[in-house]
Amino acid sequence: MNNINAKNQPSLDTLPKLLRDNALRYGDKRTALREKDMGIWKSYSWQDYYEKVRDLCLGLVKLGFKRNDKICIIGENKPEWFWAELAAQSAGGVAIGVFTDCQAQEIKYFFEHSESSFVVCHDQEQVDKVLEIKAELKNLKKIIYWDPKGLWGYQDPDLISMQEAMEIGRQLNQEQPELYQNLIEEGRGEDIAVLAYTSGTTGLPKGAMFTQEYLVEGIGEWARFDGWSHKGYEYLSFIPPAWATEQALGISGALVAGMTVNFPEEPETVQENIREIGPHVLFYGARLWESVNSIVQARMIDSTRFRRWIYHRFLPVALKIADMKIENRPLSLWWRFMGWAAYQAVFRALRDRLGFSRAKIVYSAGGAVSPEIIRFFLALGIEIKLFYGATEMGIISVPREGEIRPETSGRPMPWAEVKIADDGEILVKSKYLYAGYYKNPEATAKKIKDGYYCSEDFGHIDEDGHLIVIDRMEDLKPLSDGRKFSPQYCEVRLRFSPYIKDVLVVGGENRDYVAALVNIDLDNVGRYAEANHIPYTTFTDLSQKVEVIDLTNREIRQVNRTLPEYARIKRFVNMHKEFDADEAELTRTRKLRRTFVEDRYKDLICALYGERDKLDVEAEVTYRDGRKGVIRTSIQVNAVE
Amino acid sequence: MNTSNSAADKILEVKSLNLSFGGLKALNDVDFMVIGRELLAIIGPNGAGKTSILNCINGFYRAQSGTIQFRGKSIHSLQPHSIAKLGISRTFQNIELYTGLNVLENLMAARHVHMKRGAFMGSIFFGPARREEIRHRELVEDIIDFLELEPVRKQIVGTLPYGVRKRVELGRALAMDPRLLLLDEPMAGMNLEEKEDMARFILDVAELRKIPMIIVEHDMDVIMDIADRAIVLDFGRKIAEGALAEVVENPRVVQAYLGEEDE
Repeated sequence: MNNINAKNQPSLDTLPKLLRDNALRYGDKRTALREKDMGIWKSYSWQDYYEKVRDLCLGLVKLGFKRNDKICIIGENKPEWFWAELAAQSAGGVAIGVFTDCQAQEIKYFFEHSESSFVVCHDQEQVDKVLEIKAELKNLKKIIYWDPKGLWGYQDPDLISMQEAMEIGRQLNQEQPELYQNLIEEGRGEDIAVLAYTSGTTGLPKGAMFTQEYLVEGIGEWARFDGWSHKGYEYLSFIPPAWATEQALGISGALVAGMTVNFPEEPETVQENIREIGPHVLFYGARLWESVNSIVQARMIDSTRFRRWIYHRFLPVALKIADMKIENRPLSLWWRFMGWAAYQAVFRALRDRLGFSRAKIVYSAGGAVSPEIIRFFLALGIEIKLFYGATEMGIISVPREGEIRPETSGRPMPWAEVKIADDGEILVKSKYLYAGYYKNPEATAKKIKDGYYCSEDFGHIDEDGHLIVIDRMEDLKPLSDGRKFSPQYCEVRLRFSPYIKDVLVVGGENRDYVAALVNIDLDNVGRYAEANHIPYTTFTDLSQKVEVIDLTNREIRQVNRTLPEYARIKRFVNMHKEFDADEAELTRTRKLRRTFVEDRYKDLICALYGERDKLDVEAEVTYRDGRKGVIRTSIQVNAVE
Repeated sequence: MNTSNSAADKILEVKSLNLSFGGLKALNDVDFMVIGRELLAIIGPNGAGKTSILNCINGFYRAQSGTIQFRGKSIHSLQPHSIAKLGISRTFQNIELYTGLNVLENLMAARHVHMKRGAFMGSIFFGPARREEIRHRELVEDIIDFLELEPVRKQIVGTLPYGVRKRVELGRALAMDPRLLLLDEPMAGMNLEEKEDMARFILDVAELRKIPMIIVEHDMDVIMDIADRAIVLDFGRKIAEGALAEVVENPRVVQAYLGEEDE
């Protein structure tokens, strides 16, 4: 191996060192990265991965990148994203992931707050945004892009393609073959590797600092604990790398565990690509599980009568077996046989269709996942591990194999300790915590009390020692009689319905009951309307149809049955427009920004607690390119019967 | 943009073209040229004869008199498929695709004009026909990437939304490796976002593939943004020619579009 000389057993305390180690270990024999391009899957071996990172790193150095410099990366999940991060880290730098749908001003905030000097962009769309604010970015040295489409005619002197940057690096490597090795060797475990900006449900985003050690050791231990370390597993990378979870699983996880990372062709082709890969390790956010569930339901509605019959015959069987597993009851021979029959008849094919044919380690986190979803997928033979963790505190607890139960996040990890405060807040101690917020020691200090990290989550530990996370502390809502309820708890359960995409549940000290703003799912409700011959024009029109309101009403009644009397939803409206991240109603990770939304629709919420059954609304909508428009319509306020 | 082109770069030359259907004069003594790599717009009110010109160029209609020369060669009397082979490809106002085939198959079908192996060789899995198929597939994948059609690659065209079909049609025209592209109302019936996307694709084609184009379009805003030059037709006559900004100021053009003012 020409350029890699392992100097007598170096300690593997940084990601670039791990990359070099994997390249030595697997070389050209194993695939490190695989992307679908031009309709076919293209592989990069560990040796390729290493060389790409080396060339890009040296290219960056030649262009003026120094130790502790920061680099912003804006793009979809592609190998180039990973190369850019590792290249920056090899040179002793820090990577900052920026969400692709951020607008120019948001990019400016990340760039300036992190004091970056380089930006790596995916394509023309991102380059255009950066060029728009370029004059204001004082420290900017270069903008590097990897997809040249549409950029052929751009003349900006600070713009350079990743290919050119790598070519510069290749030359430097020929002149100074030792340079890259020396750069890696200078890296230390305590170096900051990544700034992960928290999505900021409150206030401006804060940059959580991850050290190399935190990523290498913390994620390494997680991989060994959950059994995906060095087994030749496949992983599909599609959650944004700007998010801490993908940093942990896709980037660090693949390096510490020698996993193959697969990149879908486009964000729209994930469902197709996942089936082609059949990954062993998966992370789906709560929302995605919900949408996979709706896909299954919708496909079954569209399916032939015979298939539907089989499905409805075997689903109860599988659900019953799932319940027995949840309750830890032994399966009799009969039920085992039935389970096998159900698998052969329906679920094997269904799992294959959804891309779960080889799924072994399946995670979820973020917004809570509805228990019905966990049960449904358990019936399919897929154990969704609902781990508990956060950008700042890493992985705190994971359900062990065979201990999957709806609602719980399993027992704490061996390296973590969990305590519940008097007010129900989850307090955490862990060997692997973040290194504080960047340039914000006050905020960092505020999070630590008596040596515990305050998660600001509300939850409890059940009699088996399983952690149950209910909601964010700040999101618990009181009613006028002083009793507290969790809006999110209702919302998650309502979103299980294929017809409901988003929902905001409201209450408050001066309010007597719980009410809801419902955002119908256009695809599925549209299909329902088609099947029932309900003519409609727009989203707004569809949402206010009597039949659609009845549909929502039925779904709410169903969820109400699982709630205590006082926490049931009494009135609701179907929203005339969808909640949208471009209008700041959702965060970039698609969490509802409650305070903002509540304020924005205060008239509607007022109407929910009023007498009238109709309200005229006017809403300003922002299109993707920043233009604004206005929707005027009349909305029905409905009581849940 | 390409004002410096000399007459030597004449791609297409149309001279005193006359076309009539019975007593109706669809085209009356029209002449114009496409020079170099320019993007020429043909504009005019409904029924002015815009589509008729495209139909004459690619051989669907046979003009009663006049000449059409493509790269110095008269194509006036050729059949449509021969004209396509010479490198003139087009899109249609009312999308003309194989609705029962998927996107990939539609684009591969367009490569037909460039395939050398016959049906017999094509039916054998190994050998030269296979290599040829792979080469064509590569070219088609390039176009899929270029027009961002990856998510619908294997979808049946009949099930796709209108805006996407328009894009597939452009892809089909590109797959023929044209030396002149005729676009008939590429943005008709699209919403604003789709129009902007299409305009960007057309500009990218011009920039990257360096293909001269004739665009027939109603939407003046879009045309103003992308075309280099325009000719204006009214009742089969050319009433103006020149840079876009001048053309729209021309009183005859204003009159044709807005009707005569009564004094």
